[in-house]
Amino acid sequence: MIAAGFVDFQITWRGDVYAGAPQSSSAAKFGTLGINFRARKARDEAEWAKALAKLSCEVPGAISV
Amino acid sequence: MTARIDTLAGVSRRIEGLDVDELRQAIQEEYALVAAEPERDFHFHTGRRLAAIVGYDEEWLDGVPAGTIASFAGTGNPFSLGRLIPGERVVDVGCGAGIDSIIAARMVGPTGSVIGVDMTPAMVEKARAGAKEAGLSNVEFRQALAESLPVADSWADVIISNGVLNLFPDKLAGLQEMARVLKPEGRLQIGDILVQKAVPEKGKQDINLWKG
Repeated sequence: MIAAGFVDFQITWRGDVYAGAPQSSSAAKFGTLGINFRARKARDEAEWAKALAKLSCEVPGAISV
Repeated sequence: MTARIDTLAGVSRRIEGLDVDELRQAIQEEYALVAAEPERDFHFHTGRRLAAIVGYDEEWLDGVPAGTIASFAGTGNPFSLGRLIPGERVVDVGCGAGIDSIIAARMVGPTGSVIGVDMTPAMVEKARAGAKEAGLSNVEFRQALAESLPVADSWADVIISNGVLNLFPDKLAGLQEMARVLKPEGRLQIGDILVQKAVPEKGKQDINLWKG
């Protein structure tokens, strides 16, 4: 999401929207859930750059040298 | 604003071994059936039952043509993320039979406008018929791929989408396209899916798995 230019990403809801569907879903074995999410387009380059920088600091296993 | 993202490490662009044209064809065939025969048995719920599962207010559905509701096949509820404001411009990406576009058109009122975009001709036709039946003049439907939206840069205040992003073969490209048509600080209000277990690389090439 951040890579595409968005900030303030938030999942607000998740639920099993496939339970009881007429045909079984092959996606069920992957624990597929319906979700609602929101995000906001960054207001400018500076806000986006800040979000990207924060993201790169949060990469698991990243090594600072 | 998105040009330099190609240099961001770790951002996956395409899925190796996936025939994108074949995938799009399969999705169009599936959703043409949802448009024409929504009462068939699918691997997902449809229609009013689905609308209740994902929490649509009955008030939103009042006046939406029955045929439009019947072909609803979303996975969430974009309107639960915030009511649209009168006068806003909205793009509904992968609008299907148009239920969310019609609801949005009523929320934004005559001073607002809605563009619904879908790649499946049968869905676009059904959406146009539904909007006409609902008597709406502030919503229009365009047939196109979500990765190349026929909408001007920075046109929209809000993008809604419901159960569509998961079908994009290149999700970053699709999201970048959404960012292009949104104004700065424009909102994304999306219903979609997530998987709690990783899909193996082989599975990502399996079109039947993409379809469900």
